[in-house]
Amino acid sequence: MLETKALTKKFKSYEAVSNVSLYLEEGESVGLLGPNGAGKSTTISMMSTLLPPTSGEVRYNGVDALNKPQELRRVLGVVPQEIALYEELTAYENMKFFGRIYGLKGQKLEQRIKEVLELIGLTERSKDRVETYSGGMKRRINIGVTLLHEPRVLIMDEPTVGIDPQSRNYILEMIRRLNREKDMTILYTSHYMEEVEKLCDRIYIMDHGEIIASGTNQELKNILANDETIRIDVETLSKDFADRLSSHDVVQKVTQEGTGYKVIATKGDDLLGDVFELAKRSHTKITSVVVQTPTLEDVFLHLTGRTLRD
Amino acid sequence: MWTVFKLQWQRLFKKPLLVLFFLGLTVLFVYFMGGSQGNQQITVRTFSQELSSEELDEWLAKLNEDDTFIFEESDYDTVYERIRMNKTAFALELNEDDYRFLVGRENIEMSPIIQHVDQIFTREKRLSAIAQNDGADPVEVETFITLNTEAGNEEAATNQAYPIMLLVGMTFFFSIFSILLLMINLVEEKKTGTWNRLIFSPLSKTTIYLGQLLHYFLVGLFQIGLAFVILDALLGISLGNNYMAMLVVTVSFVFAIVSLGLLIIGLVSSPQQLQVVIPIVATSMAMLGGAFWPLEVVSNRILLFLAELMPIKHGIQGMMGAVIQNRGVTELLEPVSALLLMGVLFMGIGLNLMERVSEKRSI
Repeated sequence: MLETKALTKKFKSYEAVSNVSLYLEEGESVGLLGPNGAGKSTTISMMSTLLPPTSGEVRYNGVDALNKPQELRRVLGVVPQEIALYEELTAYENMKFFGRIYGLKGQKLEQRIKEVLELIGLTERSKDRVETYSGGMKRRINIGVTLLHEPRVLIMDEPTVGIDPQSRNYILEMIRRLNREKDMTILYTSHYMEEVEKLCDRIYIMDHGEIIASGTNQELKNILANDETIRIDVETLSKDFADRLSSHDVVQKVTQEGTGYKVIATKGDDLLGDVFELAKRSHTKITSVVVQTPTLEDVFLHLTGRTLRD
Repeated sequence: MWTVFKLQWQRLFKKPLLVLFFLGLTVLFVYFMGGSQGNQQITVRTFSQELSSEELDEWLAKLNEDDTFIFEESDYDTVYERIRMNKTAFALELNEDDYRFLVGRENIEMSPIIQHVDQIFTREKRLSAIAQNDGADPVEVETFITLNTEAGNEEAATNQAYPIMLLVGMTFFFSIFSILLLMINLVEEKKTGTWNRLIFSPLSKTTIYLGQLLHYFLVGLFQIGLAFVILDALLGISLGNNYMAMLVVTVSFVFAIVSLGLLIIGLVSSPQQLQVVIPIVATSMAMLGGAFWPLEVVSNRILLFLAELMPIKHGIQGMMGAVIQNRGVTELLEPVSALLLMGVLFMGIGLNLMERVSEKRSI
């Protein structure tokens, strides 16, 4: 339905996006996962015809969307990362304006505004100025104005940044319903791997402007099929202990997390016994040890050597 | 285009303070500066070391025929002392065959006074020459002025010119503020992402720009028009009825300022920086362009050259031509063309720069 081929964007000598090829099938929910600065926003700016690429193609139903953007724009909805609304106007006034620019008017427009306000749960507050809304409500109306013209493709750029868990859950549930009930094709970018894991059928992982892995949630985790993740909490953090863990034969990566360490190691070897032995030698007291199955976060760490929030 | 255009008005009506504030400032400034200047009679201390008291009185009566200025009798010592103490800017000395001004410091009021004295002197000398020649021969009358100050131009010479110049200058000056500060909305839109939402939509970029710019243009035009109407009603300074010429000049001026706004926005892309840059640009433009004082008092060539590059200079020049000299549109081609040319140039460069900024911001 929507695909990119070898999409590249250079800003002078800096290559923000390099050879990104990805596709979205109709009705699919696809995640674009990567840390801040990975090139996600630049990629979706090019996919949504906002930003011309240095090279590469964007095709919608086989048609070159860069040269003929109108067809894609009619069916595209983009939820930007920032609250892109006229905050001095009410939610209703914002919706009326954004509906009109997509050619909606009269009864049809009023009907759509009503439906969307119900969907985002803001019917009661629709006559209030957006500037008086809470962060979560602003996020919801930010999504709402994008849904008025019933887009077939919805691109969402980190739509849950900076909001409380309750609003986040509301938004995630809303996106899930749009995808399942309205058969809307969704490209969801985030650096919250748990959101992407929950929502998306397929995932692309981006880093330094490149796609470094892609597949379903399980396919990506299979990258670490031969590995296991061990979470070790200690009484006092010790560099000596971390160094000893890192130099162990089967250990691939050690990262400090909170009051302990996360260790990715090859499965099958009896590492746990060695962990206690190494702790004893470095005079470190272990308070808990948990062996976990790998998460997308671990996959990302494995692929890049960095965490998603670095 | 109309959807975008209407939205801008909707936003302005929600927060109209900016435009109302500058409209209020225009009225206030012209009222206190122009109003007082326009209605106040200027006193000129006059003395003579050659004429008798009667002859001096006779001249004073002639000079005071028009109640625009008050020529008040004084003596050399008093005048000299006042000028030395900076209490008086200048004084008039009348002689048998000529007159001269003692000037302590340059003063904007001098130009019309020089013109007035010159007129009276020329008239009296001509009458006296005719009387002596018994009307037989045409009389050559020399100019008597012996002053190292350049005489003002035709417009400044009339009593009406200064308040009108001030009215036009201040109105244009504050309209620059309103238009440019309102145009920060455009930058805000780019910053908050609403601009991108418009670009994602089926609207063309041209439509989006037209909707926005037409709004700023009409706000500027409306503010200037309203200021003229209010000031006419309040101060009684009428701009006459040369409406077409005034409209053409004002439209060209507002077009140049909206384009200048685009250029500034293209160069300075943060709203915070713009809030600093706009007052600097507007004020320096007004100072250089002759909104605060007539350019006739400026003699520095560099400043005069810079004035030519200021839209406000051509705006004022055009308006003065329309109001004072009652010139038609075709006679105002010079200032109007300059404004339109500036407008086209600023807009071309500004749009180009803005598009580049948009691309950078999309990273």
